[in-house]
Parts: sequence; structure tokens; C-alpha cells
Amino acid sequence: MAIERWEPKILAFCCNWCSYAGADVAGVERRQMPPSFRIIRVMCSGSVDPCWVLEAFLEGADGVLITGCHPGECHYLNTNYHTARRYRLLRIFIEELGLEPDRLRLEWISATEGIKFAEVIRDMTEKIRALGPSRLGPER
Amino acid sequence: MGKCYLAWAKDPEIRQKGGSGGFVTATLLAALKEGLVERVLIVRRIDEFEGVPLLTDDPEEVKSCSSAHLAAPLNLSSYIPPGERVAVTVKPCDARAIIERSKRRQIDLEDIYMVGLNCGGTFMPVRTMEAVSDLFGLDPGDVLGFEVSKGKFLVEARSGTYTLPMVELERMGYGRRDPCRYCNINIPVMADLACGDAGVPPGMRATFVEILTDKGDELFEAGIKTSMIEFEEAGEEEIETRVRTDRRMSEDADMWWDELSSMIDEVDHLSYYINELGRCIHCGSCKIVCPVCACKDDAKCLDMGREGYRISLYNLIRLFHLMDSCIGCGQCEDVCPADIPLTMIHQRFERRMEKELGYRPGFEMSKPPLQEPEPGGKV
Ligand code: SF4
Ligand code: SF4
Repeated sequence: MAIERWEPKILAFCCNWCSYAGADVAGVERRQMPPSFRIIRVMCSGSVDPCWVLEAFLEGADGVLITGCHPGECHYLNTNYHTARRYRLLRIFIEELGLEPDRLRLEWISATEGIKFAEVIRDMTEKIRALGPSRLGPER
Repeated sequence: MGKCYLAWAKDPEIRQKGGSGGFVTATLLAALKEGLVERVLIVRRIDEFEGVPLLTDDPEEVKSCSSAHLAAPLNLSSYIPPGERVAVTVKPCDARAIIERSKRRQIDLEDIYMVGLNCGGTFMPVRTMEAVSDLFGLDPGDVLGFEVSKGKFLVEARSGTYTLPMVELERMGYGRRDPCRYCNINIPVMADLACGDAGVPPGMRATFVEILTDKGDELFEAGIKTSMIEFEEAGEEEIETRVRTDRRMSEDADMWWDELSSMIDEVDHLSYYINELGRCIHCGSCKIVCPVCACKDDAKCLDMGREGYRISLYNLIRLFHLMDSCIGCGQCEDVCPADIPLTMIHQRFERRMEKELGYRPGFEMSKPPLQEPEPGGKV
């Protein structure tokens, strides 16, 4: 019997105005991506409550990806700059907690950058595969 | 540095009775008399070991309250009445809490006069009672008072005076609360006045006063105008002594922090936090007493998920929310029925934020970093 291979689970928060469309473009263009990620569409990367990120890890995510509009292009003025601030502190937070900070990633991806979306997913999946399962998820 | 004075109460009775020459008592009385404030918020001893908050406009009550804050491990910011002008005696953590609360629109700083008291740490009443009976064989009921002076723990009892170096007392696990031992801020530089012993020449019944703000000036002026205080300018040597004392105390605190902290660094962080926070019974006391938590009874965090999680979402949310605002006051650790070293844990996270952003909660009026955007959206 083949031993089931562990595959990383990545939760991706995608902004409605940019990266969610970017993910769509990646699909339409048939970019190769591992099936490691699940997308939650949000109205803005800045609406991602840091608690959701923590909850995702507690629920068993091995990595969390937040994607938003490039600086200066936020649909809601400068809310992505708030995302950046929270991200900066969240990374230190999970590191102090004992998780590898690279399990959390923030990327600016526009609605046309399907190619970047696919690249980020591939790269992040590889990095998390190397880190192994998160130790904050429920006991297996 | 603000203007520095050696000052004391003009009334010989207040000067004699008050700690350090009764300057603080006299200033509070003057502020009431001059109508700067409607009431004062101070600490009153209920016995030799414990102090409780007192909000009053009665001069007699004010006079009876001198030098009690050593025995009061409470945070006065939680007792400030809304919409009233008050003068409040503050330790550095009280002052920092007041400033953080004002940023969250819970206190109007305009109304508050902060009479800062230098603080080397507070004592848990129960622990102090245990210390006098375990170490000196005293019945706590026979104790007439205790104080810390020049690195010594002094107990005045019916049967005589007992003393022990603080270092020894604390090596045996008694003494100040842990959060006070690693708190490296002794002079409340964020208050309007900073008052303390350090820098006062030996034998002189006076307080070393630093005036830090315009309101501090007003308070000092009120004392002069009402002839409640007398003063002289502090000399170079006295100022230098105070700076030295402060530096030494901060260094001691940092050493203790490093020692405590290294215990976490030596083990696996995640196991440590799961282990400690895993004892939480979700009573919610820590958020109720936390002076900088703005949600209090409206908080939803306590209802968040915990079943099957390695650490409950409640604990993680509190840790994250306080990362930019925990002032290390120790209230949470004091009340936790599960004896989780909460303040140390909160401080671990907060101090990392400080290092990253150079922001110290309770010092300046700038907004908490979590409410600010990252300039340029850099990641
Ligand atoms: S978390 Fe604890 S130590 Fe920090 S401010 Fe709140 S009560 Fe004080
Ligand atoms: S006081 Fe202690 S037991 Fe109660 S909720 Fe806070 S951490 Fe949990």
C-alpha cells in the first residue's frame, strides 16, 4: 500500500479587485499550479483580520498567503498599506510563537498578473513542502 | 530633562508624616484648593500590606494617604472617573496606561493631572505577609509597616525592626512582583511631574521633583501659590545621583528579564506556549483587568474557538492585539487563576514589536502601530 504523501495546505486570501482576478487569469491561461491552495475572496487585503490568519493556522493551514493590489493601486485608498503593517507584525508574532515566519506571505498581484500568481503559488508550495507540516494545526 | 527641584511640604506635620517630605500630599492638597482639579485619585492603605484606590476631595483623607503605592499592585488608570478633572498619583505603568487609554478615547487626557511617582516595584500583599512570617517568624498582624530603602527590605513590627537585603529576599522567591522586577522604567517621564527619593541628600526630608510638562508647572505653581510647598533648585550632584540610581535600577531589571527570558529561548517556543497557555480556563479575567484592552465587556474574543485547537484563539487574539500596546503592568498575571506567566508572555511579543518598529506604548501620543499604515506599503 502506498504511503499517502503529505501535501501542503495553503490558504490564500485574494482581493476582489486584483489578485482574485489574477488567479482567474492564471486559470484561463492554463498556468501550471499545484493543487495546494484554497482561495478565500475578500473585498480588500486590508479586510483580512489578523485573527483569520491565526485561525487558519489553528485549523490546519501549513501556510497563509495574503494577496492585494500593488502599492498606490488599492481600490480603497491606502488600505493595502495597513495590510503591510499587520503582515510585518504578524510575521514577528508567529516567529515568536515558534512557527517559521515564511509560512506567512504577502504579495502584490494585479488583475492581469496571472503569471505572477502561478509563480507565487508554485514557489510558496515548494518552500512549505520543505518546511513540512505546521505544528500549530490540530493534532493528527 | 525638565526643571529639577528638591521640594517638601511647608506644613511640618505633613512633611514629617509623608514619605519624602510630603511633597506629593501637599501638591494634591494645593491642586484641590486652587481648583485645578475636582477630586484626586490616590492609594489608601487598608492594612500594612495592601492599598486600594481612593477618589476624594476631602483634604483630611488626602493627608491620611501618604506613601502607600508600594503595597498597591493595581493600575489606577481603571478608576479614573469620566468627564471630571482629577489629579492622580501614577507609577510609570499607571501613566502609560492612561496615555494608551486616551488614544482609545477612554480617557480625556486634558482632564488629567499626572503626579508621577518613581517606582522600583510593587509587592503582592499576600506574598509579603508570607515573607514576614516565613523569614522573620512574625505574625502579619504584628507588623506596623514595611518599606524598601537602599536595597534593603525593612519590616517594622511590634517586636522590633527586621531587615534583609532585597537581593536575598528575591532569591528566595519573595519580594516584588515579577513584572515589576523586569520593568526597566522607574521614572514616570510621561507624567506631568516625576517625584522620588533618588537624588535627595541623605537625612533631608524632601522629594526630588522633575517638572515634565506645562501641567506639571501648573501643579508646582499651585503649591507655591497656596504656600503648601517649599523648595530649592536641585544641584548638579543631586541630578547626577538620580540619573545613576535610575540607570542602575534599569540595568538590574534588564538582567532579570534576560534571565527569565532565556528560559523560553532555551526551549522550543511553540511547546512552551502551548504548555503554558494550555492551562487557560477561559475565565476572561485577564482581559477585564487589562488597562489597555478597549473592548472589555463587549469583547468577542472570549467566545472564539478553542475546541481542538493547540492554543485557543482567545489567547492568540489577546497576544496579537496587545503586541503594540501591552505596557507590562502585570494586572493579567496577578489575576490569572491558572498561574500562567501572562505578563512575561505578552512582553515577549511586545518587546519584539518595540525592536522592530522603535515604538514604545505609553510614551508618546502617536497612534498604536497596528492602527497605522506601513509607509510606502513596503513588505
Ligand atoms: S496584557 Fe497584562 S501586562 Fe499587558 S497591559 Fe494588559 S494587563 Fe497589563
Ligand atoms: S486569567 Fe488566565 S485562565 Fe483566565 S482567561 Fe486569562 S489566561 Fe485564561
